[in-house]
Formats: sequence, structure tokens, C-alpha cells
Amino acid sequence: MSTFNIWLGILQGLGTTAQVTAYGLVFAVPFALVFGVAQFLTTGMTRFLVTAIIEFWRSSAVVVLLFVFYYVLPVMGITLSALTVSALVLGLNTGGYASQAVRAGLQSLPAGQREAGMALGLSRLAILLLIELPQALIAMGPTFINNLIQLVKATSLVSLVTLTDMTFRAKEIAQTNYDPVAIYSALLLAFFVVCYPIALAGRWLEARIQS
Amino acid sequence: MLAQAPHPLSADQSMPHVRIHGLNKWFGAVHVLKDIDLTIRAGARIVVCGPSGSGKSTLIRCINGLEAFQKGKIEYEATSLGKNTRETAKARRQTGMVFQGFNLFPHLTVLANCTLALRRVLLKPAREAEEIAMRHLTAVRIPEKAKAYPAQLSGGQQQRVAIARALCLNPRVMLFDEPTSALDPEMIKEVLDVMIALARTGVTMVCVTHEMGFAREVADEIVFMDEGRIVEQASSKGFFSGTAHPRARLFLDTVLRH
Repeated sequence: MSTFNIWLGILQGLGTTAQVTAYGLVFAVPFALVFGVAQFLTTGMTRFLVTAIIEFWRSSAVVVLLFVFYYVLPVMGITLSALTVSALVLGLNTGGYASQAVRAGLQSLPAGQREAGMALGLSRLAILLLIELPQALIAMGPTFINNLIQLVKATSLVSLVTLTDMTFRAKEIAQTNYDPVAIYSALLLAFFVVCYPIALAGRWLEARIQS
Repeated sequence: MLAQAPHPLSADQSMPHVRIHGLNKWFGAVHVLKDIDLTIRAGARIVVCGPSGSGKSTLIRCINGLEAFQKGKIEYEATSLGKNTRETAKARRQTGMVFQGFNLFPHLTVLANCTLALRRVLLKPAREAEEIAMRHLTAVRIPEKAKAYPAQLSGGQQQRVAIARALCLNPRVMLFDEPTSALDPEMIKEVLDVMIALARTGVTMVCVTHEMGFAREVADEIVFMDEGRIVEQASSKGFFSGTAHPRARLFLDTVLRH
């Protein structure tokens, strides 16, 4: 099998990689926004609970979470598809990281922004939606791009729960052709080809924010 | 423009807009405001001055509820501060605030800075909000910058936009918290000129400032604070003609020597 054919074989898993990434974002984006804002706004016990949930998703090993959700939940009577489990676990893990960017972005705004909104008679919700979040999200754009790249790379783990992503394809090909150098180099290249344009987009975004 | 049209809310000079009774505030263990009594009559032009740390900024921030206080009352015509968030919001809509650091919203154009509250608080339609905003931007002599972003303006221009933004809501009292302290010397005048023109329209103003020239020209009442107390409250004439409290005298000597 030529190196090129190996590469084409690996790219057959690109669809699954893209699917897990996109479906993962469906979990990651709302989680990051809701929990990042909640951690910013709440105090006391509520904040402790919010932080605990964020830390659970952020600080657990993704592989372990995948196994727990894929193999343990069915024992308790909850069966989720491999794709849903993968998107949920990877999405909420990435969302946990991104929620910290949301919170930090909100906290780094000068207090005068909120005060000016209050002095104009805007409600707390209006200040958050019209003044604080737009500024925080723009400032944190490059960080979100980093989180997205992390999510794409983390999809390589979903082969452990039977999904035929690029990594799974590489392992399949490795079973029929013993050529580890060509196969895993091609897999490295495949991930680079997917992630590098995102990094470039991030750099373009950063340059636009600064101007 | 400002000098010609009297402010629509300046007519009734008898009713006080805001009454402050026995106001006390602590930051932790530090007693920053001590038994403040102050009445802001309609049409009054009050300058609050005093050494730094005397509590003057805290006082003005208490008046529109940006700072909480522990004792005393701040009463507006229809409501009083601190009861609950709805009453506080109601009181806030009667005041306009200009900050030392301008606090314009950097992600919005000058025009959008001015129309934001008109649209979201007073629920004006977009066109009417823009007309009102342009009228006030013209009054502070900066209508040509309506489509610019705050970062593209000088400090003096930003502060004039901030004044226009506060005026858009047609407040009963304008509060100024050291509006020229963050400005380069050559920009102070353009902001003070706008404030002087505003004062001539009869709008009620409370201004924390070290600009004694402005105080002498515009204020009808000077409040001198030291260590959290109002030490002296006098007419502008009385304050500057030498009858002031010894501590006020000392402060004036220091400020005027510059």
C-alpha cells in the first residue's frame, strides 16, 4: 500500500472526526457560556456548585470519562450511542476549559463598564448581554480557537469507543499492512491538515481584534 | 447651542430633586462618610471639593446607588435609594453620571453609546433615539464623530461623548465625578467649556472637581469635605472670599497655588 493510499484510507475517517467535533461543539458552546457566566455572577454556595460541575468536566481524564459513559451507564440502564457519548464527553471537557476563558474575559473588564451601564439604568441582564459579553467574547476569541483545536485533537480518543474516526482507520490499516512509519506519519499529517487552518484562522482573528 | 435652549426640567426651582439625610458609609472598618446632610435643589450647581480620600467621590457614587450605604437616607422626589433594585433603578433614571475614566463602551460607536439606554431603557424606536443622540452630540460639539469608535477619539472628545450619553436620558440631576482629572491639560478646557455651557441651560449639577476656576465661574454652592464629613457648605462667593473654614482655607491655598 503506497503512502498516498494509506493517507486516503485514513481520510475516510475524516467524516467521523468532523462529526464528533461539530456535535461536540453543540455541548461545548452552551456549557462554556452558561457556566462561565454563572461562575462570574454567582457567589457562595451556588458558585461552589457551579465550580464543582466545571471542575468535574475539566479535571477528569477524557479517556476515563469516555469509558465511564460508554461502558458504565448501560449497566445503570442508560444507553447512549458512541457518537453521543463522544460528543458529550469531549464537548463538556472542552466546554469546561472554555468556560474559564468566558469567566476570565468577563472578570478582566474594568468595573467602570458595568458602572456606566448601571448609571444609564440598564438592568443587570442587559449589561451582561449588551456590554460585558460582547467585549469578553471578542477578547477571548483566540483562546476559543485554541479550545477548538484541542477538541479536534481529542477526537482521536473516540476510536476507543468504536467510532471509525481517522485514528481508528489508521489502526485498521495497521492491522492489514505492517508499516507503522508510513501509517502513523500519515495520521500525524492528517491531523495537522485539519488543525493548521484553524490555527491560521485564529491568528487572522487575533490580528483583526488588535486593529 | 447649549446656551440658548433652557433645559426642559429646569423650570421648577423650588422642589428639591434629592435629599440626603444622615448618610453614613463604611468600607469594612473604615468610616468613609459621616453624617452627610445635603439637599440638591432643582437648578442647583453644586461643586464638591476636598483633599483626596475625603469621601467626595464616594458621596457622588452613593447618590445614584453605585455604592451601597449603611445608614441614612437618600430620597428622590418619587422614590428613595436602597429599598430594592427596582426603586434604585427608578432613582438612577433620574440621574446622569459622568466618570473620571469616561467609561465609554469600546465595542460600540459613539452614536451607539448614546442610543443604547434610549433604546433599551426608555424603549425609543431607533430613529428617534438617533435623533436625540445627535442633538446631544451636537451640543457637546462632536457630531462628526458619531460613527467613530471611542478608541479613535482623544480623552477630551471621549469625555464630551460621555456627557452627551448621560444627557440623552434627560436626567433631572447630572453627577460629575472628577470629569477632568484623567485628562491631559490641553483637553481640560474643551470639557470644562461644555460643562459651563451645560450649567447655563439651568440643568441641576453636582460636580466633584479640583478645578477651582470652574467652581468659581459655575457653582452656586460649594461643599467642602474632609475625612468623610462636610466641613463647610457655602455659597460660591462666600467660599472664595475668605470666610471659609480653616481646613478649607488651607486646601484652597494648596490648590490655587498650582
